[in-house]
Amino acid sequence: MSTPTLTRTSTRLTHRLLPPRPPYRCLSCSRLLAQQQQHQHQQQPPKQDAQNPTTHFGFQTVPSSSKQSRVASVFTSVASSYDTMNDLMSLGTHRLWKDHFVRSIDPGIRDCAEGNGSGQTILDIAGGTGDIAFRVLEHCTLVKNDHASKIIVSDINPDMLAEGKRRAREGGYGQSGRLSWLEANAEDLRAMPDNSVDLYTVAFGIRNFTSKPRALREAFRVLKPGGVFACLEFSKLNSRLLEAVYKRWSFGAIPLIGQLVAGDRESYQYLVESIERFPGQEEWMGMIEEAGFLVPGVEEGKGWEDLMGGIACVHKGVKPL
Amino acid sequence: MGPTRPLHAVFLRHPAPLRSNLVWQCSRSYHSYEHEAPPPFTPTEDAILSAALAHVPTHGFTNTALTQGARDAGYLDVSTNLFPAGAFSIVKYHLVTQRLALARHASSLQSQSDITTKIRKLALHRLHANEPIVHHWQEALALLSTARHLPTSLRELALLSDELLFLAGSTTVTSAWYTNRAALAAIYASAELFMTQDKSKGFTETEKFLKRRLEEGEKIRGGLDMVGKWVGMQAGGLVDGLRSKGVWI
Ligand SMILES: C[S@@+](CC[C@H](N)C(=O)[O-])C[C@H]1O[C@@H](n2cnc3c(N)ncnc32)[C@H](O)[C@@H]1O
Repeated sequence: MSTPTLTRTSTRLTHRLLPPRPPYRCLSCSRLLAQQQQHQHQQQPPKQDAQNPTTHFGFQTVPSSSKQSRVASVFTSVASSYDTMNDLMSLGTHRLWKDHFVRSIDPGIRDCAEGNGSGQTILDIAGGTGDIAFRVLEHCTLVKNDHASKIIVSDINPDMLAEGKRRAREGGYGQSGRLSWLEANAEDLRAMPDNSVDLYTVAFGIRNFTSKPRALREAFRVLKPGGVFACLEFSKLNSRLLEAVYKRWSFGAIPLIGQLVAGDRESYQYLVESIERFPGQEEWMGMIEEAGFLVPGVEEGKGWEDLMGGIACVHKGVKPL
Repeated sequence: MGPTRPLHAVFLRHPAPLRSNLVWQCSRSYHSYEHEAPPPFTPTEDAILSAALAHVPTHGFTNTALTQGARDAGYLDVSTNLFPAGAFSIVKYHLVTQRLALARHASSLQSQSDITTKIRKLALHRLHANEPIVHHWQEALALLSTARHLPTSLRELALLSDELLFLAGSTTVTSAWYTNRAALAAIYASAELFMTQDKSKGFTETEKFLKRRLEEGEKIRGGLDMVGKWVGMQAGGLVDGLRSKGVWI
């Protein structure tokens, strides 16, 4: 097997990548891989100036205006091999995390019959493949005996939505009339009225948004008073040792595996870097509070819930009355 | 003034087997009117939890009561996400608010009565606060004694014991038994448990039980043992018992 090569490469990558020095260029990693990465936008590290605000694209600094299209292209290229990527990043446990995420929110209204108009309106942002939406629907129906609540799956990327619709048909959720699809940028949800949503979920999506505060403001706007913002996202490990090991894995091995499995190293490289860039638990909680939400558990010093030592994390906020 | 380090901080830094002993040995760090303590619940929590408590007589200490409370307070079903501990939040709310309410009652105590009498009156007053929900109190005890909530439960019990002693005027350090918060906590806890079985009118049997136990106070030096037993009994027997009755814990 090629294990020695892999290890050597990953060591080298880790060595180069830690500590991160943005703007980062994949080109410097390896001559072999460089051939697949010839994207002209990497050649010019952009300069920060007032007219052209910049944001992060992984470790690169890019003009804000182009981040959206770049993120879109990443997800277009991983849409079909999407589960592989999640399995790699979560060490195979993202399905369990999603189960836990939905169960802990406990969506739905107990014994709510169809058609009496009293079900919940649930908005799953960056819902792409429908992973969260299907679970929410099942929880409502099977756990809460709720046959009325409706879920809007929203994503910026039509390819991801197409993948979601396909899975909805295959999974038999298509006919329920309780799922709908909305192509929208999470930072601009003008299709959704103010105070119209009971529950806003976003799983592994927020870190891709150009401006997280803008997305939070939109979440706050569309939620009803008393409504809940719930976010599941890769996060920072609590233990330095584990963090070092995990980084070595994610930076070193994942892009390489992405290359081998999906033939798309750069997209995977972006995903790994975007996780690294995402704010830590405490900072992210602060941003949620700043947007006006009440954060559960703050007084007990636990305003979030770490999963697997912090590889991923659940944050919630309740919009006050 | 004694050390101000919060009780739970001291508590959690010690290995689990030592904790229950430790709880009783920390110096008193808190009384409801000795310090200007921050309000224990936010206005939103207050609104939802007090409304939820009103549903406990019908729904017990359950998520249903919590949801009903949220609705009454003008919130949504999903707003109960504000309480990661679920139904346990209602239990804690009851314990904390009733402990804090004791201070108001204390002023009505006759100043000439002795400390034991004062303690008995205060403890009795606190027990009577359980009356409206007493037929659901075993559920609360079961929740209180699950591993996840045990630290909070013991802390609350210790704080109650402190509060009783403080309000009864036991401020001087003496070797009298009633300065032993552990012994008092054990007596209170056993009276509370007794009360859940008490069918007598106005809970007169519980009152007698409490009186007897307090009079025996001098003899009950083994307070720590008793607490150990109390915890063991709750954690084992009661939880199993309730589980067998289909209560989800
Ligand atoms: C890693 S996927 C998560 C999909 C799904 N929620 C899950 O947990 O499996 C991230 C998704 O975020 C979407 N996305 C990225 N930027 C977005 C934005 N600004 N607004 C809405 N969705 C966005 C992508 O199209 C992609 O489908």
